[in-house]
Parts: sequence; structure tokens; C-alpha cells
Amino acid sequence: MLTLLIFIPILFAFIIVVLPSSARASFKYITLLATLVQLCISVWLYLNFKTGAGFSGIDHESQFQFVQKIPWIHLNLGGLGTMQADYFVGIDGISIGLLVMTSLVMVIAALSSWEIKSNLKGFFALFLLLDMALIGVFCSLDFFLFYIFYELMLLPLYFLIGMWGGARREYAAIKFFLYTLFGSVFMLLVMIGLYLSVKDPATGNHTFNMVQMMNPANYEIGSVFSTLSHQTIFGFPARTVGFVVLFIAFAIKVPVVPLHTWLPDAHVEAPTPVSIILAGILLKIGGYGIIRICLGIFPEVASSGAWWLGLLGIISILYGAFNALAQKDFKRIIAYSSVSQMGFVLLGIASQTAEGISGAVMQMVSHGFLATMLFFLVGVVYNRVHNREIYNFRGLGTLMPKYTVFIMIAFFASLGLPGFSAFIAEAFSLAGAFKSSSVNGLLPQWMAVFGAIGILFSACYFLWTLQRMFFGSVSLKGGEIWKTALVDLSTREIIALVPLALVVLAIGIMPSLVFSKINDSVLELVNFTKNIIH
Amino acid sequence: MHELTPLIPHYIDDVYDSIKYFMPEIYLSILFIVVFITDLIFGRNSRQLCKIIACVGVLLVIVQDLYQVSLLLTNGQPTGHFLFNNMLLLTRPFITFKFVIDVLAFILLFYFDWDHKLRAHKKGLSDLYSIVIASVLGLHLMTMAVNLLSIYLSIEMVSLASYLLVAYRSDNSITTEAGLKYVLFGAASSAIMLYGISLLYGFSGSLNMFGSTVSGLVQANGTAVSFAILLVLLGIGFKLSFVPMHFWVPDVYEGASTPVTAYLSTLPKIAGFALLMNFLTPFIFYAKWSGFDFKLFLSAVGIITMIAGNFAAVLQTNVKRMLAYSSIGHTGFALMGIVTFTQQGLSALTYYLLVYGIANIAALALASYFTNLAGAEDVEGYKGLGVKYPVASVCFVIILISLTGLPVTAGFTGKLFVFSSVYASYQQNHDIWLLLLMVTGALTTVVSLFYYIKIPLYLFVKRTDILSDPVKSSYNILTLSIILSLVILLLGIFPGWLISYF
Repeated sequence: MLTLLIFIPILFAFIIVVLPSSARASFKYITLLATLVQLCISVWLYLNFKTGAGFSGIDHESQFQFVQKIPWIHLNLGGLGTMQADYFVGIDGISIGLLVMTSLVMVIAALSSWEIKSNLKGFFALFLLLDMALIGVFCSLDFFLFYIFYELMLLPLYFLIGMWGGARREYAAIKFFLYTLFGSVFMLLVMIGLYLSVKDPATGNHTFNMVQMMNPANYEIGSVFSTLSHQTIFGFPARTVGFVVLFIAFAIKVPVVPLHTWLPDAHVEAPTPVSIILAGILLKIGGYGIIRICLGIFPEVASSGAWWLGLLGIISILYGAFNALAQKDFKRIIAYSSVSQMGFVLLGIASQTAEGISGAVMQMVSHGFLATMLFFLVGVVYNRVHNREIYNFRGLGTLMPKYTVFIMIAFFASLGLPGFSAFIAEAFSLAGAFKSSSVNGLLPQWMAVFGAIGILFSACYFLWTLQRMFFGSVSLKGGEIWKTALVDLSTREIIALVPLALVVLAIGIMPSLVFSKINDSVLELVNFTKNIIH
Repeated sequence: MHELTPLIPHYIDDVYDSIKYFMPEIYLSILFIVVFITDLIFGRNSRQLCKIIACVGVLLVIVQDLYQVSLLLTNGQPTGHFLFNNMLLLTRPFITFKFVIDVLAFILLFYFDWDHKLRAHKKGLSDLYSIVIASVLGLHLMTMAVNLLSIYLSIEMVSLASYLLVAYRSDNSITTEAGLKYVLFGAASSAIMLYGISLLYGFSGSLNMFGSTVSGLVQANGTAVSFAILLVLLGIGFKLSFVPMHFWVPDVYEGASTPVTAYLSTLPKIAGFALLMNFLTPFIFYAKWSGFDFKLFLSAVGIITMIAGNFAAVLQTNVKRMLAYSSIGHTGFALMGIVTFTQQGLSALTYYLLVYGIANIAALALASYFTNLAGAEDVEGYKGLGVKYPVASVCFVIILISLTGLPVTAGFTGKLFVFSSVYASYQQNHDIWLLLLMVTGALTTVVSLFYYIKIPLYLFVKRTDILSDPVKSSYNILTLSIILSLVILLLGIFPGWLISYF
């Protein structure tokens, strides 16, 4: 089933490539169909996802669900045994929420691709290729497979930003590509190191299996990353180096300040659907990687470095919020608000409490929907007048009432109004951070306090934007031309926005929609890290 | 004289016995003569005929290569077999090298006359085919040479052929300069190497590397021996084009016609690696060797080469020149595989070189394609061509991604294998140089992306207003590059198909 989920987009992409260019009007419908099929499958997965202690996943291979494991690369390397990389996919509580979120966001992104007018074949083929890679990352349990999907995202994104982006698209695209590649080539080295350190107990081969990597007993004695042998790399403990390298790779994706500088450029230059994918899904891959890989494989380093992770989280929250306050470009505000909101994910993870990690996962799911909504809304204005400067707009509220309703939902939900998903997520992250000092002593309480202050600032920039752009009498830089151009939302746009608003509200009112599915895995993860450390 | 008489039957037996291990080379010799005669008989119009004969012949040679594998196995000599009185050594890994060389030569033979500039040459291309066949014979010998004399002779054989190829089309000052430069530097470096070889012979009293050369050298003055070894390594380095023996590469690659550049950047380089292994093996496995530190030397050279090649490539705008610098960078990366001195490292190296060879030939073939159709030599000229020639451009992207080493291409798996062999070796001996090599390799991958992506950048991302000149079509190079891109993708997804034989 997961295989189907992963490879459906590429099937449709193939159809698009094969179809003649004269059929270009149908490409967007084909893409939409692909994402809808994907959404159906993932909803089916969600409904059939079993919960309970026996299905918690994390470090038990047998507890993953919808598992598919096919031998892929088995090479006899003579003296070094066999190289083993499997096509190994499966999901647990950490991934199921993100999977559903991804599928829904992809549908919205497909709907917002209506604005793309040039070279449709290329756009939709790359779009679907990217779709495949994103789903693949969340499903892979084999590090090799994970890495392949992880890298496979880069190229389509480069072209999607570079070919259909705004004025500075070349700069933004290459900056994004180089930044991410910088993180991932070093990840490759750590991956190989882990692979050569870990042996599959069943076959005795070195393996890329991530679940096996989580078990300290599987490490070969004397290998680089063995917990017992205390190897060093350039004078630093090897496991710390491994953790830091992986963390940097994922932190670039999240993005964690100070590795965030690619994000405003990429978001601002990218066309709306790509911004949606970037903010909605791509950033989550960073957070997911930190939970699954950094925390799962190097738990003891993660807890000894928790203070630093928490600090980085706080810096991201505050720095992102301050930057958002200072921006004049609507899209840049949203971009920096993403940096700020993803800081809560890091803070929650750093606390290593059940509340914190649940909050982090919840924040990723919730931010996925909200960022999609926000970027979609920015795209609406930009498409109509090709301008996003905040001071060029005033009184949009009277001009576009329906639009303003959705803007208000999105803004209030994002700033953490109770009743919406972000409130639950931020509350849990902060609760985790508060509790941490008494439970495991990883984070001091002032970090939680600063996190809470971050929420305050997010209220500032959202409300201020609302006031500047939407309230007051109508006054537009483009005068009458803009006034006629700025028509209210079309049916297609409403169709895209309503489900998002509903989902955000539903999760806010019934957080158990997400929590019930992720809880077992989160508890298992917390237990697991505790056991390893003590 | 009389005291040698009893030895003669033994020598004759040895020669006679060696012949059956020498079949691919004999085939190549015959092929050379056949192509040469065809050219003589049919004159200038024989291009197509020569091409067919050469391609079919090389296919036969490939079959012979494969046959050699079973020959070694059935005769119970998995470790190898000495030929012609210890002049040559045939071993399993180097049969793979020969196979790689022949496969790439086969691709190249197809490609030569598809380059319009080269084909327009008034001399005709028939000679070219015989030169290439002769050079492939030399390359075969390079992979097997284990005697200082045969090492030198095989290198010279390849060099002479390469000089002719580079200077084949000398219609403007750049190509003439390239040809002359190549001959001068080549001659100088082989003189240096010859000097080193004669010193080694003088110190040890033996030319036979697997005989008494190494044991003889241990007793000689260490500094002098190191100096002599350094000279020989520099000579080999000219073929591999590692720093500091790389300075000829950009000019020659840019000046030579594109198919010849494709030839130079792949075949002699691959054979050079085989030769380097042959030259090093006796030293590495001689327990008492304590003189020249090969590992240190090659690691340092590898690191410098990777950095110099990749960073210099960033500044280039001419596509061929850029690929020239990038090939220097690849040499540095491949040296990493040699430094491990393990079986795994060697097979990773072979795989890496094969993949590099395929991708580089395909990249240069596409460079030809764009020069043929749009007259573009600089990346500037590629502006907007992505829309006009979508299929070729997509292939180009795949190939460049493979050269960078990103999934899902063969270049990635090649990189992965090299890295893991180095890592495995590091885990054994915790040599800091290996770690530095890997870190440099990873860093320069990022740098290489920066210049490789320039081509897709100009093809697709930069927009142009002028779309005036009509779209021409040409299918031969396009077909070739589609096939090669597919091969690269397939090897990227299922590397097991190939690497298990290496």
C-alpha cells in the first residue's frame, strides 16, 4: 500500500511526459487526480492505522505498520561481507500524521498550480517527481532509501524554483540547492559510517536498516559509531560528530537559525505551489529527520546536547518573529513566521518529554496546514496584481471580504488562538519544555518562558499585518486598475481553502485526531531514549 | 652465448604458453592491421567501412576479455598469471579494467564521426580509427605491464597515439597550440619518467617489479630511491592529470576536437590508474618496504587535486574547459580509491571509473550535439536551448547529476562505493588522511554542483527572447545520449547488476 502511495505520482508523471504537448490543458487535471488518489490512500491508511502498545514502531521492526521489505542491493564485497540495502518502507505514529498532512497539502498545491502558464509539461512532471520523493522520505525505514528520496527532492525543487520563480529565482534556487547539498553530502559520510558500524543480527551483514541502527547491541565492537568503543574523529567523540553532522543536515531543512538564510529567498522567489510545498512539507522533513534519525540513533548525544538544541529552538522562535516584524513583503513575513514556528518543533524535541515530542509532531502537522493556507492566500493577491508590498495595500477587507475571512482564520490560527491546531501544538511544546526541568532536567524553565514570549510576538506581526493591509479605507498603490483586478476568491480557491480551515479547526477542537495516532510511538520513543541513557 | 642455449626452450615455451592469455591483444593487433589496410585500399571514402570494422572488432575483443576471466579460473590461477617472461601480469581486476576500456572505446568509436567539426576534416577519418585501435592495444598493455620496460613502452604507445589524435584536426591556432603543447609536455614527462625508471634500474639492478626490483631498492639510498619513484609517479601523473601534472589539461581538452577530448579524458586516465596500481602493488606488499610513503603522497595529491580541479572549474565558461577541470577533480576523487590498497577499494575504483567514463563521454557527446546544432561552445550559448531541444537537455541534466554524484544515478553509487571502501579502511587503521580525503571529497561535491548546475541553469532557467533560428534535428548523438542516460539511471537504481562482477 505504501509502495502504491509512493509511486503513484511517478506513474502519473510518466503519463504526462508521454502525452503530446497539445494535451497540455489536461495536465493540471491529471496532477490533481494523482494527488487526490494519493490523499484517498493516505486517508485509508490513517483509518486503518492500528494503535496500542503493540503498534508503536520506533525501535521495533515488527511494530511498524504497512511494512514492505524487499531485498534491493545485496552485494558480496568479499572480505567485508555483504552490502545490504533493502527497499524497506513502513510507518509508525511519527509518520502517519505527516503522511496525511503531506497528501492533503499536495492536493492544495496542485490546485494552486492553476496559475502556472508556461511549460506545463515540465512543471507537472517535476511536481509529481517531487511528490514521490516527499512521500518516500516519510515512509523509508532504510537509511539508503531515505537518503535517495531525500536527495531526489533537490533537483525538482531547483528547477521548480529556477524556472517558474520570481525575479531573483536563479540566485534563490542555487542557494537552496547548495545549502541543502552541503548538509546532505556530510550526511552521506555519516550514513556510510553507520552502515559499516551496524550489523543485522539476523544475517550478520552490514545494513542500512534504520531500525537496527537504533539498537546499541547491533553495533560492531570497535566500529566508529559503536556506543562502547568511544572512538574519536578529529579529537571529538565520534558519536557526537555523527549527531552534529546529521543535525546540521536536518537543521538546514527545518530551518534552524543561523542556517535559515536560504529560506526567505527560496520562499519569496518560488511560485505559489512550490512555496506551499516548501513551507508545508519540506520543512517537516527536517523535523522528522531530527526525531527519527538524530534522536533515534544517537539518543544519548541528543540528551547531552539538549540544552543547545533548546537554545537553538528559542533563538529560531524569537529571531524569526523579530524578522517577521521588520518585513515589508507579505510573503517574507510568512516565510519568517515559518522559521519562528518551526522553532517550537525543535524546542519540543529538545525537551525529550512525551508532551514536548507530541507537541513537536503536532506543530509539524499543524504548521503544514497553516503554512499552506498562508502561502496560498499570499499567492491569491500576488496573482491578481503581481505585487506583495504590504504598504501598497490598504482596506482589502472591504474589497475582498471572503478573502479576508480566510486570512483572519489563518492568522488567528497561526498565532495560537485556542480552538485551532497551533494552540494545541504550541501549548504542548511549551508544556514539555516546562516539565523538562523537573522530569529529566534537560531544559531550564526560562527557555519555555522565552518560547511563550515568542507567541506574543507572533501575535504582534500577524495582527499588525492584518491592520495594515485589511483594515481602514481602500487605498491601493495601483489605483483603479488594481481595484478591478482584486476580485474576491474564486470557487476553486475556496475549494482549496475550506478543507484546510476545517482541518485546522477540527484538530484544534479534537486534538485526539492526531494525538491518538501518535501517542504510542511518542511514549515509546521517550521510553526508548530514557532506557538507552540510563 | 653457449651458456644461454639451454634456457632458450624454456623461454620459447613461456612465450608459446603466454599466447593463449594474450588473445584480446592479438585480436586488437589484427584489427589494427585490417582497419589500416581497409583505409589504404578504399581511400578517403572508407570512413563508414572503417567504423563498422572497428566497432565489430572491438566487440570481439570484449568477448575475448570476458573469456579471459574463465581462462584464469579454469587454469586455477585466481591470483594472476605472468606472461612473456614476467613482462606482463594478467589478473582478475585488470581484466575488468580492460573490459571497461573496451566498452568505452566501443562507445567512442561510434561517436567520433558524429562531431561535425571533426568530420569536416579533409583528411577523412579512416586514419583516426586505426590510431584509436592501436591506442587501445597500448591501453591493454598498460593495464598488464609489471616490468619497468613494459610500463614505459606501453605508456609511450598510448602517448604517441594520443599526440596524433590531439593534433588530428589542426585548422586553427587553438587546436594547433593544443596539439603542440600536448606533444611537448608529453615528451617532457615521459623523459622524466624514463629518467626515474633508469635510476630505479640502476639502484636495484632489475627491471622486474615483481622480481628483485623492490628488494634491491630497500638496500639503496632512501632519498635517492624516493626521488626516482617520485619521477616515475610524475610520469604516470601526466596520464592521470593529477596536480601538479594537470596544467596541460584545460588547453588541450579545449583545443582538441570534442570526441578526442572525450577519448583523452577517459581511456588513458583509466588505464593510468591500472598502471599506477601495477606499479604500487609490489611496494605495498613488500613487507620490509619503509622508504617512500605512497599513502601519504597519494592522499596529499588526491586532496590537492580535488580542491584545485573543482575550484578552478567554477570559474570556467567554456563547456569543454569546465569538463576538463572537472575531470581533474574526478582524478583526485578516484585516487581516494587507490589509497585504501584493498580489494574493495580497487573494485569501487573500477566501477567509479566506468561510470565516470560513460558520463563524461556522454557529456562531451552532448557538447558536440549543441555545437553541431546551435554552434554553442560557451555556457552562454546554451541559453534557452533547453526548450528547443528538451530531450537532449534532460539527458544532459541526468548526466551532469551523475557526474556530481547525486542519486538516483550511477555517479552516486560510484561515489558511495568509493566512500564506503575508504571508510572501511579507516575503521581498520584510523588513518587521519583517509578521513581528510573523505571530507574533501564531500566538500568538493558541493563545489562541483555549483559549476555542473551552470549548464542546466543556462539550458532551462535563463530566459531568452530570441527564438529565431529554426530547430534542427540530429538523431545519432541524441540516441547515444538517451541510451547512456538510461544506463546511468539503471545503474543508479540497481548497482548490483554490475558491481558484483567487479
